[in-house]
Amino acid sequence: MNAIEITGLKKSYSATVEALKGIDLSIPQGEFFGLLGPNGAGKTTIINSIVGLVRPNSGSIKVMGHDIRKEPLAAKRYLGLSPQEINIHAYFPIGNVMEFQGGFYGLSKKESKQRAEKLLKDFGLWEKRKVGRFKLSGGMQRRLMIARALMGKPKILILDEPTAGIDVELRHELWEFLKGLNSDGTTILLTTHYIEEAELLCERVGIIHKGKIVACDSPTKLIEKYRFENKERKGVLKFVRPGSLEEVFVNLTGKSLAEGAKEWEVSRDLQL
Amino acid sequence: MGSFTGFATLVTQEFFRFWRLIRQTIFPPILTTLLFILIFGFSLGERIQEIHGFPYILYIIPGLAAMGVMNNAFSNTSTSLYMARFDQSLDNILAAPLKPIEIVTALVVGGIARGILIGGITLAVSLLLLKQPLFSWPVTFFFLIQQSILFGCWGIIGALRAKTWDSLATTQTFVITPLVYLGGVFYSINLLPDIWKKISIVNPLFYMVDGIRYGVLGILEVPLWHSVALSGLLTLLLFALCVYLFQIGYKLVR
Repeated sequence: MNAIEITGLKKSYSATVEALKGIDLSIPQGEFFGLLGPNGAGKTTIINSIVGLVRPNSGSIKVMGHDIRKEPLAAKRYLGLSPQEINIHAYFPIGNVMEFQGGFYGLSKKESKQRAEKLLKDFGLWEKRKVGRFKLSGGMQRRLMIARALMGKPKILILDEPTAGIDVELRHELWEFLKGLNSDGTTILLTTHYIEEAELLCERVGIIHKGKIVACDSPTKLIEKYRFENKERKGVLKFVRPGSLEEVFVNLTGKSLAEGAKEWEVSRDLQL
Repeated sequence: MGSFTGFATLVTQEFFRFWRLIRQTIFPPILTTLLFILIFGFSLGERIQEIHGFPYILYIIPGLAAMGVMNNAFSNTSTSLYMARFDQSLDNILAAPLKPIEIVTALVVGGIARGILIGGITLAVSLLLLKQPLFSWPVTFFFLIQQSILFGCWGIIGALRAKTWDSLATTQTFVITPLVYLGGVFYSINLLPDIWKKISIVNPLFYMVDGIRYGVLGILEVPLWHSVALSGLLTLLLFALCVYLFQIGYKLVR
Protein backbone atom coordinates (compact mmCIF):
# COMPACT_ATOMS: atom_id res chain seq x y z
CA MET A 1 0.00 0.00 0.00
CA ASN A 2 1.30 3.43 -0.91
CA ALA A 3 1.38 6.20 1.63
CA ILE A 4 -0.09 8.59 -0.92
CA GLU A 5 -1.78 7.63 -4.15
CA ILE A 6 -2.96 10.39 -6.46
CA THR A 7 -4.70 9.65 -9.75
CA GLY A 8 -5.92 12.01 -12.44
CA LEU A 9 -6.04 15.03 -10.15
CA LYS A 10 -7.40 18.16 -11.83
CA LYS A 11 -8.21 21.50 -10.34
CA SER A 12 -9.29 24.80 -11.84
CA TYR A 13 -9.77 27.86 -9.67
CA SER A 14 -11.66 29.61 -12.45
CA ALA A 15 -12.38 29.19 -16.12
CA THR A 16 -8.97 30.58 -16.97
CA VAL A 17 -6.81 29.37 -14.09
CA GLU A 18 -6.09 25.67 -14.39
CA ALA A 19 -3.86 24.88 -11.45
CA LEU A 20 -3.56 21.12 -11.93
CA LYS A 21 -3.88 19.47 -15.31
CA GLY A 22 -4.01 15.82 -14.35
CA ILE A 23 -1.57 14.70 -11.67
CA ASP A 24 -0.69 11.05 -11.12
CA LEU A 25 1.61 10.37 -8.24
CA SER A 26 2.38 7.44 -5.95
CA ILE A 27 4.52 7.83 -2.87
CA PRO A 28 5.46 4.55 -1.18
CA GLN A 29 5.60 4.31 2.59
CA GLY A 30 8.88 5.48 4.05
CA GLU A 31 9.93 7.53 1.05
CA PHE A 32 11.35 11.03 1.14
CA PHE A 33 9.66 12.61 -1.85
CA GLY A 34 10.16 16.11 -3.20
CA LEU A 35 8.02 18.25 -5.46
CA LEU A 36 10.28 20.73 -7.17
CA GLY A 37 8.94 23.67 -9.07
CA PRO A 38 8.65 27.44 -9.16
CA ASN A 39 5.96 29.40 -7.33
CA GLY A 40 2.61 28.94 -8.99
CA ALA A 41 3.44 25.56 -10.51
CA GLY A 42 0.73 23.79 -8.51
CA LYS A 43 2.69 22.37 -5.56
CA THR A 44 0.52 23.90 -2.90
CA THR A 45 -2.67 22.96 -4.71
CA ILE A 46 -1.59 19.31 -4.65
CA ILE A 47 -0.81 19.47 -0.96
CA ASN A 48 -3.99 21.30 -0.05
CA SER A 49 -5.96 18.72 -2.01
CA ILE A 50 -4.39 15.94 0.04
CA VAL A 51 -5.42 17.51 3.35
CA GLY A 52 -8.86 18.52 2.10
CA LEU A 53 -8.40 22.29 1.94
CA VAL A 54 -8.81 22.28 -1.81
CA ARG A 55 -11.55 20.34 -3.51
CA PRO A 56 -10.31 18.90 -6.81
CA ASN A 57 -12.54 18.95 -9.88
CA SER A 58 -11.69 15.36 -10.67
CA GLY A 59 -9.34 12.56 -9.73
CA SER A 60 -8.84 10.77 -6.46
CA ILE A 61 -6.44 10.87 -3.54
CA LYS A 62 -5.79 8.03 -1.17
CA VAL A 63 -3.83 8.27 2.04
CA MET A 64 -2.74 4.86 3.33
CA GLY A 65 -5.55 3.38 1.29
CA HIS A 66 -8.23 5.76 2.60
CA ASP A 67 -9.95 7.99 0.06
CA ILE A 68 -9.73 11.57 1.31
CA ARG A 69 -13.29 12.36 0.16
CA LYS A 70 -14.95 9.18 1.42
CA GLU A 71 -13.04 8.67 4.67
CA PRO A 72 -11.54 12.04 5.44
CA LEU A 73 -10.98 11.39 9.13
CA ALA A 74 -9.22 8.08 8.64
CA ALA A 75 -6.99 9.66 6.00
CA LYS A 76 -6.22 12.84 7.93
CA ARG A 77 -5.16 10.94 11.02
CA TYR A 78 -2.02 9.82 9.19
CA LEU A 79 -1.07 13.30 8.07
CA GLY A 80 0.90 16.11 9.57
CA LEU A 81 0.96 19.33 7.58
CA SER A 82 3.23 22.32 7.75
CA PRO A 83 1.80 24.77 5.20
CA GLN A 84 3.72 27.43 3.39
CA GLU A 85 1.90 30.27 5.07
CA ILE A 86 2.10 30.56 8.83
CA ASN A 87 -1.33 29.59 10.13
CA ILE A 88 -0.83 29.59 13.85
CA HIS A 89 -3.41 31.18 16.10
CA ALA A 90 -2.32 34.77 16.49
CA TYR A 91 -2.82 35.20 20.24
CA PHE A 92 -2.44 31.83 21.90
CA PRO A 93 0.83 31.06 23.67
CA ILE A 94 2.68 28.61 21.47
CA GLY A 95 2.80 26.01 24.26
CA ASN A 96 -0.99 25.90 24.18
CA VAL A 97 -1.01 25.84 20.38
CA MET A 98 1.10 22.69 20.52
CA GLU A 99 -1.02 21.01 23.18
CA PHE A 100 -4.27 21.77 21.38
CA GLN A 101 -2.82 20.31 18.22
CA GLY A 102 -2.11 17.06 20.02
CA GLY A 103 -5.72 16.95 21.19
CA PHE A 104 -7.06 17.48 17.67
CA TYR A 105 -5.21 14.34 16.66
CA GLY A 106 -6.55 12.32 19.58
CA LEU A 107 -3.66 12.50 22.04
CA SER A 108 -4.62 12.55 25.70
CA LYS A 109 -3.97 15.72 27.68
CA LYS A 110 -1.00 14.20 29.44
CA GLU A 111 0.50 12.84 26.26
CA SER A 112 0.01 16.16 24.46
CA LYS A 113 1.77 17.99 27.25
CA GLN A 114 4.75 15.65 27.19
CA ARG A 115 5.01 15.60 23.42
CA ALA A 116 4.69 19.37 23.18
CA GLU A 117 7.50 19.77 25.68
CA LYS A 118 9.74 17.36 23.83
CA LEU A 119 9.11 18.91 20.41
CA LEU A 120 9.45 22.47 21.66
CA LYS A 121 12.80 21.53 23.17
CA ASP A 122 13.89 19.71 20.00
CA PHE A 123 13.13 22.80 17.96
CA GLY A 124 14.67 25.25 20.39
CA LEU A 125 11.36 26.90 21.25
CA TRP A 126 10.85 25.78 24.83
CA GLU A 127 11.90 29.14 26.31
CA LYS A 128 9.25 30.81 24.19
CA ARG A 129 6.37 28.54 25.14
CA LYS A 130 4.45 31.26 26.95
CA VAL A 131 4.47 33.85 24.18
CA GLY A 132 2.34 34.21 21.07
CA ARG A 133 3.72 33.58 17.64
CA PHE A 134 4.08 37.28 16.83
CA LYS A 135 6.84 37.44 19.41
CA LEU A 136 8.85 34.88 17.43
CA SER A 137 11.28 35.51 14.61
CA GLY A 138 10.42 34.29 11.13
CA GLY A 139 12.72 31.30 11.46
CA MET A 140 11.21 30.37 14.83
CA GLN A 141 7.71 30.52 13.41
CA ARG A 142 8.78 28.18 10.62
CA ARG A 143 10.21 25.72 13.11
CA LEU A 144 7.07 25.97 15.18
CA MET A 145 5.04 25.04 12.10
CA ILE A 146 7.03 21.85 11.68
CA ALA A 147 6.95 21.05 15.38
CA ARG A 148 3.18 21.49 15.38
CA ALA A 149 2.83 19.24 12.33
CA LEU A 150 4.60 16.53 14.32
CA MET A 151 2.27 16.75 17.33
CA GLY A 152 -0.19 14.24 15.91
CA LYS A 153 2.54 11.60 15.39
CA PRO A 154 2.03 11.61 11.63
CA LYS A 155 2.99 8.62 9.53
CA ILE A 156 3.17 11.05 6.63
CA LEU A 157 4.67 14.47 7.07
CA ILE A 158 3.82 17.07 4.46
CA LEU A 159 6.03 20.13 4.32
CA ASP A 160 5.18 22.97 1.98
CA GLU A 161 8.31 25.07 1.47
CA PRO A 162 9.52 24.38 5.01
CA THR A 163 12.81 26.23 4.73
CA ALA A 164 11.60 29.38 2.95
CA GLY A 165 13.03 32.31 4.85
CA ILE A 166 15.20 30.24 7.17
CA ASP A 167 18.89 31.10 7.30
CA VAL A 168 21.44 28.66 5.93
CA GLU A 169 22.67 27.27 9.22
CA LEU A 170 19.22 26.52 10.53
CA ARG A 171 18.27 25.06 7.20
CA HIS A 172 21.04 22.50 7.48
CA GLU A 173 20.01 21.64 11.04
CA LEU A 174 16.47 21.14 9.85
CA TRP A 175 17.61 18.91 7.01
CA GLU A 176 19.43 16.67 9.48
CA PHE A 177 16.33 16.50 11.62
CA LEU A 178 14.12 15.55 8.68
CA LYS A 179 16.58 12.90 7.52
CA GLY A 180 16.47 11.36 10.97
CA LEU A 181 12.69 11.43 11.02
CA ASN A 182 12.58 9.76 7.63
CA SER A 183 15.00 7.04 8.60
CA ASP A 184 12.77 6.34 11.61
CA GLY A 185 10.03 5.48 9.13
CA THR A 186 8.09 8.69 8.53
CA THR A 187 7.10 9.23 4.91
CA ILE A 188 7.91 12.80 3.93
CA LEU A 189 6.44 14.83 1.11
CA LEU A 190 8.21 18.11 0.69
CA THR A 191 7.78 20.94 -1.78
CA THR A 192 10.61 23.26 -2.48
CA HIS A 193 12.11 25.56 -5.00
CA TYR A 194 15.57 25.05 -3.56
CA ILE A 195 17.50 22.72 -5.86
CA GLU A 196 19.96 21.78 -3.15
CA GLU A 197 17.21 20.78 -0.76
CA ALA A 198 15.64 18.44 -3.28
CA GLU A 199 18.99 16.92 -4.31
CA LEU A 200 20.19 16.37 -0.81
CA LEU A 201 17.09 15.04 0.90
CA CYS A 202 14.82 13.39 -1.59
CA GLU A 203 14.92 9.81 -2.76
CA ARG A 204 12.67 10.79 -5.62
CA VAL A 205 11.83 14.17 -7.05
CA GLY A 206 8.80 15.14 -9.11
CA ILE A 207 9.39 18.14 -11.32
CA ILE A 208 6.24 20.17 -11.54
CA HIS A 209 5.62 22.81 -14.13
CA LYS A 210 2.38 24.57 -15.00
CA GLY A 211 0.18 22.03 -13.25
CA LYS A 212 1.85 18.91 -14.59
CA ILE A 213 4.51 16.58 -13.31
CA VAL A 214 6.91 16.62 -16.24
CA ALA A 215 9.41 14.12 -14.81
CA CYS A 216 9.65 11.98 -11.71
CA ASP A 217 12.61 9.89 -10.59
CA SER A 218 15.59 9.85 -8.27
CA PRO A 219 17.79 12.94 -8.57
CA THR A 220 20.67 10.86 -9.99
CA LYS A 221 18.55 9.32 -12.70
CA LEU A 222 16.91 12.61 -13.58
CA ILE A 223 20.31 14.24 -13.95
CA GLU A 224 21.57 11.36 -16.02
CA LYS A 225 18.61 11.58 -18.33
CA TYR A 226 18.13 15.30 -18.70
CA ARG A 227 21.55 16.88 -18.40
CA PHE A 228 22.88 18.92 -21.26
CA GLU A 229 25.64 17.13 -23.08
CA ASN A 230 28.43 19.06 -24.73
CA LYS A 231 26.29 22.06 -25.25
CA GLU A 232 27.53 25.57 -25.24
CA ARG A 233 26.60 27.07 -21.92
CA LYS A 234 24.94 30.28 -22.81
CA GLY A 235 21.88 32.20 -21.77
CA VAL A 236 20.29 30.98 -18.61
CA LEU A 237 22.59 27.95 -18.44
CA LYS A 238 25.48 30.18 -17.52
CA PHE A 239 24.05 30.27 -14.04
CA VAL A 240 23.38 26.59 -13.75
CA ARG A 241 25.66 24.17 -11.96
CA PRO A 242 26.48 21.38 -14.42
CA GLY A 243 25.09 18.00 -13.41
CA SER A 244 22.48 19.40 -11.03
CA LEU A 245 18.71 19.16 -10.78
CA GLU A 246 18.70 22.76 -11.87
CA GLU A 247 19.97 21.65 -15.22
CA VAL A 248 17.20 19.07 -15.39
CA PHE A 249 14.71 21.75 -14.59
CA VAL A 250 16.00 24.10 -17.26
CA ASN A 251 15.99 21.31 -19.80
CA LEU A 252 12.42 20.32 -19.03
CA THR A 253 10.85 23.71 -18.64
CA GLY A 254 13.20 26.16 -20.32
CA LYS A 255 13.27 28.10 -17.08
CA SER A 256 15.55 28.35 -14.11
CA LEU A 257 14.87 28.28 -10.41
CA ALA A 258 18.13 29.90 -9.38
CA GLU A 259 18.16 33.47 -8.19
CA GLY A 260 21.09 34.47 -10.40
CA ALA A 261 19.29 33.25 -13.47
CA LYS A 262 16.21 35.20 -12.57
CA GLU A 263 18.27 38.33 -12.38
CA TRP A 264 19.75 37.50 -15.70
CA GLU A 265 16.29 37.08 -17.20
CA VAL A 266 15.22 40.40 -15.77
CA SER A 267 18.28 42.18 -17.08
CA ARG A 268 17.71 40.65 -20.50
CA ASP A 269 14.14 41.88 -20.45
CA LEU A 270 15.36 45.33 -19.55
CA GLN A 271 17.74 45.43 -22.45
CA LEU A 272 14.99 44.53 -24.86
CA MET B 1 -15.01 7.43 13.82
CA GLY B 2 -14.53 10.82 15.41
CA SER B 3 -12.55 10.94 18.56
CA PHE B 4 -14.03 12.55 21.61
CA THR B 5 -10.62 13.95 22.48
CA GLY B 6 -10.60 16.03 19.31
CA PHE B 7 -13.98 17.54 20.06
CA ALA B 8 -13.13 18.10 23.72
CA THR B 9 -9.95 19.90 22.68
CA LEU B 10 -11.89 22.18 20.34
CA VAL B 11 -14.22 23.07 23.19
CA THR B 12 -11.29 23.68 25.54
CA GLN B 13 -9.76 25.96 22.94
CA GLU B 14 -12.98 27.97 22.71
CA PHE B 15 -13.15 28.39 26.49
CA PHE B 16 -9.47 29.23 26.62
CA ARG B 17 -10.02 31.96 24.05
CA PHE B 18 -12.78 33.86 25.80
CA TRP B 19 -11.38 33.29 29.24
CA ARG B 20 -8.05 34.81 28.22
CA LEU B 21 -9.88 37.82 26.87
CA ILE B 22 -12.10 38.16 29.92
CA ARG B 23 -11.72 41.93 30.00
CA GLN B 24 -13.20 42.10 26.52
CA THR B 25 -15.60 39.20 26.64
CA ILE B 26 -17.12 39.06 30.12
CA PHE B 27 -16.78 42.34 31.99
CA PRO B 28 -18.10 44.81 29.39
CA PRO B 29 -21.41 43.04 28.71
CA ILE B 30 -22.07 42.71 32.43
CA LEU B 31 -21.32 46.38 32.95
CA THR B 32 -23.63 47.33 30.05
CA THR B 33 -26.48 45.31 31.47
CA LEU B 34 -26.03 46.71 34.95
CA LEU B 35 -26.06 50.22 33.49
CA PHE B 36 -29.32 49.45 31.73
CA ILE B 37 -30.84 48.26 34.98
CA LEU B 38 -29.59 51.35 36.75
CA ILE B 39 -30.87 53.79 34.14
CA PHE B 40 -34.11 52.25 33.00
CA GLY B 41 -34.94 50.50 36.20
CA PHE B 42 -33.99 52.65 39.11
CA SER B 43 -33.96 56.15 37.72
CA LEU B 44 -36.51 56.25 34.90
CA GLY B 45 -38.53 53.23 35.96
CA GLU B 46 -40.21 55.02 38.85
CA ARG B 47 -42.01 57.25 36.38
CA ILE B 48 -43.32 54.33 34.35
CA GLN B 49 -46.42 52.47 35.45
CA GLU B 50 -46.44 48.76 36.20
CA ILE B 51 -46.72 46.28 33.37
CA HIS B 52 -48.63 43.05 33.99
CA GLY B 53 -48.45 43.84 37.68
CA PHE B 54 -44.65 44.10 37.80
CA PRO B 55 -42.60 47.22 38.38
CA TYR B 56 -40.92 48.38 35.18
CA ILE B 57 -37.45 47.35 36.27
CA LEU B 58 -38.52 43.77 36.87
CA TYR B 59 -40.41 43.74 33.61
CA ILE B 60 -37.33 44.57 31.55
CA ILE B 61 -34.83 42.33 33.34
CA PRO B 62 -35.59 39.07 31.48
CA GLY B 63 -35.34 40.89 28.15
CA LEU B 64 -32.05 42.48 29.17
CA ALA B 65 -30.69 39.08 30.10
CA ALA B 66 -31.86 37.71 26.76
CA MET B 67 -30.17 40.59 24.99
CA GLY B 68 -26.93 39.81 26.80
CA VAL B 69 -27.19 36.17 25.86
CA MET B 70 -27.88 36.90 22.20
CA ASN B 71 -25.19 39.51 21.73
CA ASN B 72 -22.56 37.51 23.53
CA ALA B 73 -23.25 34.19 21.89
CA PHE B 74 -23.11 35.96 18.53
CA SER B 75 -19.93 37.82 19.42
CA ASN B 76 -18.21 34.73 20.70
CA THR B 77 -18.70 32.45 17.74
CA SER B 78 -18.35 35.16 15.12
CA THR B 79 -15.16 36.60 16.58
CA SER B 80 -13.62 33.21 17.16
CA LEU B 81 -14.36 31.96 13.67
CA TYR B 82 -13.58 35.21 11.89
CA MET B 83 -10.23 35.49 13.66
CA ALA B 84 -9.43 31.90 12.80
CA ARG B 85 -10.22 32.64 9.17
CA PHE B 86 -8.14 35.78 9.35
CA ASP B 87 -4.97 34.26 10.84
CA GLN B 88 -5.65 31.09 8.83
CA SER B 89 -5.54 28.90 11.93
CA LEU B 90 -8.91 27.67 10.68
CA ASP B 91 -7.09 25.82 7.89
CA ASN B 92 -5.19 23.94 10.56
CA ILE B 93 -8.47 22.87 12.16
CA LEU B 94 -9.93 21.88 8.80
CA ALA B 95 -6.89 19.78 7.96
CA ALA B 96 -7.12 17.95 11.29
CA PRO B 97 -9.17 14.77 11.71
CA LEU B 98 -12.25 16.57 13.00
CA LYS B 99 -15.83 16.29 11.78
CA PRO B 100 -17.72 19.37 10.58
CA ILE B 101 -20.36 18.78 13.24
CA GLU B 102 -17.65 18.67 15.92
CA ILE B 103 -16.19 21.97 14.77
CA VAL B 104 -19.61 23.65 14.67
CA THR B 105 -20.72 22.20 18.00
CA ALA B 106 -17.51 23.30 19.70
CA LEU B 107 -17.98 26.85 18.44
CA VAL B 108 -21.59 26.80 19.60
CA VAL B 109 -20.65 25.41 23.01
CA GLY B 110 -18.27 28.36 23.37
CA GLY B 111 -21.18 30.66 22.51
CA ILE B 112 -23.46 28.89 25.00
CA ALA B 113 -20.89 29.16 27.77
CA ARG B 114 -20.40 32.86 27.29
CA GLY B 115 -24.11 33.51 26.67
CA ILE B 116 -25.20 31.63 29.79
CA LEU B 117 -22.49 33.22 31.86
CA ILE B 118 -23.62 36.72 30.91
CA GLY B 119 -27.34 35.93 30.99
CA GLY B 120 -27.01 34.00 34.23
CA ILE B 121 -25.01 36.70 35.98
CA THR B 122 -27.44 39.38 34.81
CA LEU B 123 -30.43 37.47 36.13
CA ALA B 124 -28.78 36.40 39.34
CA VAL B 125 -27.52 39.87 40.24
CA SER B 126 -30.72 41.69 39.39
CA LEU B 127 -33.13 39.19 40.92
CA LEU B 128 -31.10 39.10 44.10
CA LEU B 129 -30.96 42.90 44.22
CA LEU B 130 -34.70 43.12 43.73
CA LYS B 131 -35.51 40.11 45.93
CA GLN B 132 -37.57 38.52 43.19
CA PRO B 133 -37.73 34.70 43.05
CA LEU B 134 -37.36 33.00 39.70
CA PHE B 135 -40.69 31.70 38.35
CA SER B 136 -39.58 28.63 36.39
CA TRP B 137 -36.05 27.27 36.19
CA PRO B 138 -36.66 24.85 33.31
CA VAL B 139 -38.32 27.43 31.07
CA THR B 140 -35.69 30.04 31.83
CA PHE B 141 -32.95 27.56 31.21
CA PHE B 142 -34.51 26.39 27.96
CA PHE B 143 -34.61 29.90 26.54
CA LEU B 144 -31.12 30.82 27.72
CA ILE B 145 -29.70 27.75 25.99
CA GLN B 146 -31.89 28.13 22.93
CA GLN B 147 -30.91 31.76 22.45
CA SER B 148 -27.23 30.96 22.89
CA ILE B 149 -27.35 28.24 20.27
CA LEU B 150 -29.39 30.28 17.81
CA PHE B 151 -27.18 33.34 18.04
CA GLY B 152 -24.05 31.21 18.18
CA CYS B 153 -25.08 29.71 14.87
CA TRP B 154 -25.95 33.11 13.49
CA GLY B 155 -22.47 34.24 14.47
CA ILE B 156 -20.94 31.28 12.64
CA ILE B 157 -22.83 32.04 9.46
CA GLY B 158 -21.98 35.72 9.80
CA ALA B 159 -18.28 34.97 10.21
CA LEU B 160 -18.28 32.67 7.20
CA ARG B 161 -19.95 35.26 5.01
CA ALA B 162 -18.14 38.32 6.32
CA LYS B 163 -15.58 39.83 4.00
CA THR B 164 -14.46 42.38 6.52
CA TRP B 165 -14.56 42.83 10.25
CA ASP B 166 -16.94 45.74 9.72
CA SER B 167 -19.64 43.62 8.20
CA LEU B 168 -19.87 41.57 11.39
CA ALA B 169 -20.20 44.68 13.51
CA THR B 170 -22.80 45.92 11.03
CA THR B 171 -24.90 42.79 11.49
CA GLN B 172 -24.83 43.27 15.22
CA THR B 173 -25.61 46.98 15.12
CA PHE B 174 -28.14 47.11 12.32
CA VAL B 175 -29.86 43.73 12.52
CA ILE B 176 -29.60 42.11 15.91
CA THR B 177 -29.88 45.16 18.15
CA PRO B 178 -33.00 46.59 16.41
CA LEU B 179 -34.67 43.18 16.35
CA VAL B 180 -34.05 42.70 20.06
CA TYR B 181 -35.15 46.22 20.99
CA LEU B 182 -38.29 45.89 18.88
CA GLY B 183 -38.87 42.39 20.24
CA GLY B 184 -40.41 43.80 23.36
CA VAL B 185 -37.48 44.00 25.74
CA PHE B 186 -38.60 47.39 27.02
CA TYR B 187 -42.37 47.26 26.56
CA SER B 188 -45.38 45.01 26.26
CA ILE B 189 -46.55 44.82 22.66
CA ASN B 190 -50.09 45.20 23.97
CA LEU B 191 -49.22 48.83 24.60
CA LEU B 192 -48.43 49.34 20.91
CA PRO B 193 -50.75 50.65 18.19
CA ASP B 194 -52.31 47.84 16.18
CA ILE B 195 -50.05 48.06 13.15
CA TRP B 196 -46.86 47.89 15.24
CA LYS B 197 -48.30 45.01 17.18
CA LYS B 198 -48.74 43.11 13.93
CA ILE B 199 -45.22 43.91 12.84
CA SER B 200 -43.85 42.80 16.20
CA ILE B 201 -45.34 39.34 16.04
CA VAL B 202 -43.43 38.46 12.88
CA ASN B 203 -40.19 39.24 14.70
CA PRO B 204 -38.93 35.87 15.96
CA LEU B 205 -37.01 37.53 18.76
CA PHE B 206 -40.29 38.71 20.24
CA TYR B 207 -41.14 35.07 21.06
CA MET B 208 -37.80 34.47 22.68
CA VAL B 209 -38.09 37.56 24.84
CA ASP B 210 -41.65 36.62 25.73
CA GLY B 211 -40.58 33.07 26.54
CA ILE B 212 -37.79 34.01 28.87
CA ARG B 213 -39.97 36.61 30.56
CA TYR B 214 -42.41 33.81 31.31
CA GLY B 215 -39.58 31.73 32.70
CA VAL B 216 -38.39 34.51 34.98
CA LEU B 217 -41.59 36.29 35.96
CA GLY B 218 -44.43 34.01 34.88
CA ILE B 219 -46.14 36.50 32.57
CA LEU B 220 -46.64 36.10 28.84
CA GLU B 221 -48.33 37.62 25.82
CA VAL B 222 -48.49 34.59 23.51
CA PRO B 223 -48.98 30.95 24.55
CA LEU B 224 -45.74 29.40 25.80
CA TRP B 225 -45.78 26.53 23.36
CA HIS B 226 -45.75 29.01 20.44
CA SER B 227 -42.54 30.52 21.73
CA VAL B 228 -40.97 27.17 22.54
CA ALA B 229 -41.87 25.60 19.20
CA LEU B 230 -40.95 28.56 17.06
CA SER B 231 -37.62 29.33 18.69
CA GLY B 232 -36.74 25.66 19.03
CA LEU B 233 -37.41 25.00 15.37
CA LEU B 234 -35.51 28.06 14.22
CA THR B 235 -32.55 27.03 16.35
CA LEU B 236 -32.46 23.51 14.94
CA LEU B 237 -32.67 24.86 11.40
CA LEU B 238 -29.83 27.27 11.87
CA PHE B 239 -27.64 24.66 13.54
CA ALA B 240 -28.28 22.24 10.70
CA LEU B 241 -27.43 24.99 8.22
CA CYS B 242 -24.11 25.64 9.97
CA VAL B 243 -23.17 21.97 9.90
CA TYR B 244 -24.18 21.79 6.24
CA LEU B 245 -22.05 24.82 5.37
CA PHE B 246 -19.03 23.24 7.03
CA GLN B 247 -19.72 19.97 5.31
CA ILE B 248 -19.77 21.50 1.85
CA GLY B 249 -16.85 23.72 2.82
CA TYR B 250 -18.71 26.96 2.13
CA LYS B 251 -16.05 29.71 1.90
CA LEU B 252 -13.70 27.27 3.63
CA VAL B 253 -12.55 24.91 0.91
CA ARG B 254 -11.18 26.31 -2.31
